[in-house]
Amino acid sequence: KWKGEGTTLNLESIVIGRCYDYIRIVNPAVGEKNCLEIWEAFKNAFIDKDPCSVLPKDYELFINLSFHTIPPNKSLFWENNRLLVNSFADRGHRYMSLADTLFGYMTDFLNWCGQANSTGLDYESCPTTEECENNPVESFWRIASITYAQHSSGVIHVLLNGSAVGGAYPVPGFFADYEIPNLQKAKVSEIVIWVVDDIEGPDRDSCGTNTVEILQNRLKNLGFDVTCADNYESVMFLLCLD
Amino acid sequence: MPFQQGSARTRQRTVLLVGIAVLLAALVLAVVLASLLTRREQEDGPKMLKWKDRGTTKNLQEVILGRCYNYVMARYPEVGDKDCLKIWDSLKHAFIYKNPCNITSEDYQPLMELASHPIPCNKSLFWSKTNDLVHRYTKSNQNFLTLEDTLLGYMADRVSWCGDPSAPGINYESCPKRSECESNPGSVFWKMASKMFAEAACGVVQVMLNGSVEAGAFGSSSIFGSIEIFNLNPDKVSEVHIWLMHDIGGPQSESCSGHSIKRLKNILEARNFKITCEDNYRPVQLLQCVHNPDHTDCRICTDT
Repeated sequence: KWKGEGTTLNLESIVIGRCYDYIRIVNPAVGEKNCLEIWEAFKNAFIDKDPCSVLPKDYELFINLSFHTIPPNKSLFWENNRLLVNSFADRGHRYMSLADTLFGYMTDFLNWCGQANSTGLDYESCPTTEECENNPVESFWRIASITYAQHSSGVIHVLLNGSAVGGAYPVPGFFADYEIPNLQKAKVSEIVIWVVDDIEGPDRDSCGTNTVEILQNRLKNLGFDVTCADNYESVMFLLCLD
Repeated sequence: MPFQQGSARTRQRTVLLVGIAVLLAALVLAVVLASLLTRREQEDGPKMLKWKDRGTTKNLQEVILGRCYNYVMARYPEVGDKDCLKIWDSLKHAFIYKNPCNITSEDYQPLMELASHPIPCNKSLFWSKTNDLVHRYTKSNQNFLTLEDTLLGYMADRVSWCGDPSAPGINYESCPKRSECESNPGSVFWKMASKMFAEAACGVVQVMLNGSVEAGAFGSSSIFGSIEIFNLNPDKVSEVHIWLMHDIGGPQSESCSGHSIKRLKNILEARNFKITCEDNYRPVQLLQCVHNPDHTDCRICTDT
């Protein structure tokens, strides 16, 4: 029926299990959360609805229940380098990317949608964003990204992939469309951009060139203090040249 | 009128009497309840044993189940069909209501059988004293699997559990440390899982050791040194590649020519394995340098 993958099997057990995993083991500093209540709020955002009519604000209760502060100077935004970000953020010890927050941790890599006139999840297929924008997963990540950006403070880091086809700073993209517009100038002291190449990958983009230059200018025009570093890139290059 | 006055006073008296009766009944109830409760506390009998290590992880069942489904469905779908409920059950029955100093490998046998899965050749990555680094590496390079990247290890990582003979059978307050007793649920689990992980390895295997540790990179009391190397199957495993990593800016206590590495090589060669050793295996060092880009250790290529 739809072009996208269906709901992840055992979604409820996975989401609830991840919630407890997070509050008991990954980041107990966030304190006690009611994981069952959080699951209900998550489910009610999209269950029994046409999966093309789920809006970001439908997840507001879920976000409120699962919200916790993001420590200053720990926010890490990224595009096109998920594996590197995972190891970079070091499970939230060094940085806290969106996937290292409770609300991101519970849902990362999962897929879900419901159907109109039925309380069941659709395991067969779910709409892609090309088929309709207001689908459960897209709307979730939009509000999650907005929330994450709004509550980021101090020095903000952005990790971009200098090897990405089409440029390190993709437009459209979550960072461009949902995160940058929601960064709070009063809370953010500096934005540090790192352009890092894939291990043994080509160097297509770097600070001051192409899409990274566009990003730097956009942030400066918005009034942010911006720095950009290719250090990591040159280190990687040097180490990779055999 | 006299008739009505009379009935009003009777009503008042009735209400008063009923009120007193209710109060008395409540008092009696309270006394009975109190005596029952204190008696129950005494009947509770022996309290749980007290140990030195942290207790069972709260919401253990939800965490284990969630991790199991997560691993099977979202992480490594090649693992195939696993019955996560059965797996949780077999873990629970391995330790619930048992004295946590009397755990045996038989207790874990059903769990090991249900949760084990084959490991592709050339992908097994062993480690000793490099916990953080090795797992950061496997997260960014999914070509290698540590024990904690298999279903069993993934479910149990950073989680603790132990039982107790008294109800409810699970001790959330404390669990025994190895120094208190060796046959505790955690130690027995990891010993068994490590043995099986080594037995399952085939082709070329890798091990990441720490060359900045004073006591030596290879220790015969570590799980790697006491269990894993002795359970590698020479008919399945052809080579062992050692990656000897130094902390960036850390001491170079040992290198591939060091004493403990020589000892390790002797043990492995005696078992007919080919061995190679590399100081600061590049892709892993890359990862270290990403966090320390300005350190001189990360500029080693500038002179070449």
